[in-house]
Amino acid sequence: MKTPLFAFGLAVGVAFAGAAQADKLDDVISSGTLRCAVVLDFPPMGSRDADNKPIGFDVDYCEDLAKALGVKAEVVETTFPERIPALMSGRVDVAVASTSDTLERAKTVGFSIPYYAFENAVVAGSRAEGVASFEDLKGKTVGATAGTYEAIWLEERVKEWGSGTFRPYQNQADVFLALSQGQLDATVSTVEVAEANVKSGKFAGIRIVDKAPMVPDYVALITLREEYGMINYLNLFVNQQVRTGRYVELYKKWVSETGEPANLTINGVYR
Amino acid sequence: MFDTALTMNDLIFLAKGAGITLIVTAIAVFFGTILGVIFGVFRFQVGPIWAAPLTFVLDVFRSIPLLIQLVLANAFVTTVLGWRVTGFSWNVTGFVVACGVLSLYTAAYCSEIVRGGVEAVPPNLRRAARSLGLSWGQEMTSVTAPMAVRVALPSWIGLSLGVMKDSSLVFIIGVVELLRSTQVLITRLQEPLFLLMVCGAFYFLISFPIARFGGYLERRWTYD
Repeated sequence: MKTPLFAFGLAVGVAFAGAAQADKLDDVISSGTLRCAVVLDFPPMGSRDADNKPIGFDVDYCEDLAKALGVKAEVVETTFPERIPALMSGRVDVAVASTSDTLERAKTVGFSIPYYAFENAVVAGSRAEGVASFEDLKGKTVGATAGTYEAIWLEERVKEWGSGTFRPYQNQADVFLALSQGQLDATVSTVEVAEANVKSGKFAGIRIVDKAPMVPDYVALITLREEYGMINYLNLFVNQQVRTGRYVELYKKWVSETGEPANLTINGVYR
Repeated sequence: MFDTALTMNDLIFLAKGAGITLIVTAIAVFFGTILGVIFGVFRFQVGPIWAAPLTFVLDVFRSIPLLIQLVLANAFVTTVLGWRVTGFSWNVTGFVVACGVLSLYTAAYCSEIVRGGVEAVPPNLRRAARSLGLSWGQEMTSVTAPMAVRVALPSWIGLSLGVMKDSSLVFIIGVVELLRSTQVLITRLQEPLFLLMVCGAFYFLISFPIARFGGYLERRWTYD
């Protein structure tokens, strides 16, 4: 008898067809909850407060997104390598997790337009009174954590200038200690790390003077690759966050009260 | 010496994690044991050839790492079955999947223990009981079961304690149990050794009574 098998196949087919019609955006709205993957060991983007509740730029961003959709936000903690598997296995709907928009990843997941960019700051130490911009570092003694992106970049600039010295250090804390003790004139580190170190008060005499003219690390929201409806919504949402000033507001709340957030547009290209 | 940033709040947070560990373990051991007894007796009763399909399935659960089983089962219910349980402050889907997978995992091991226990009852004793006029069910419950339980108990206690520790793997599908809550605190407070000691103490507090209860039962049943 083939009839029961056929009926079963038909039932399965109908079930899948029904599932295929509603897309992720519909699912999120009808379920009333948006599940965001957020990395919570990455302050100021994501961390936990004294009550072990998730806080940070990314957590607020997820809550804004949920509010825009008219649903409740549910923060699902993931690690950096777990973000994409969590998305693929249906544990989360979107990842608001400082994901760099690489072409390699775009083969697997769908990216929105960048919602944040990690820039690098020039941090001057106690002995570099006259340094007011990146160009002033010419001929000075600079240093950074050996092997990092910013260290390689800085060493190249020193070679290009043909004057001054580059000193590699074992870790970030050593760099800031050297800066504070006057062994170094300046360093380059991400704005977030620089702000946190200045705020901590552990390194006397250091100050942020300028942004380094490096290509920022653009990060975007991610969802499943085929969810065009969702990606479209995310793009517009990022646009609205900047337009309404919420982007600046969140930057001032979590990253730096005095600084300016990165420009999310690139000259000479549409997107 | 004990200069720590750990607060009362954090201890409550850990205790909640320990609660989840206990609940997941209790559910898994409860259903795992029921299934394990059914599967074990069935496998003994029908013989190795007829039980081969079941043995194969149970071997799958025993030989694939639990971590992989959990991830695959969770992906199956969320993507293929399309489960989307939301609106709770805790991860319902993850919890159900964790309990389901752990129950089957426990059942796979438990069926071996039960089979071993039943096989340890001398066949002649069972035949004697049957020839006295006891039915299969009567013989099973009043002769085989009491003797098999005594043989199987130490392994079963060991299995329960093992499942409790294996339940720490359910963090991978987003269930915040004891070990995961400890990791959360380690990330925030940066005191890994101290926090792992606290976590170990919690595990000990949960496991020790179970181990002692097993020892007590063993002693009590020795001269019955």
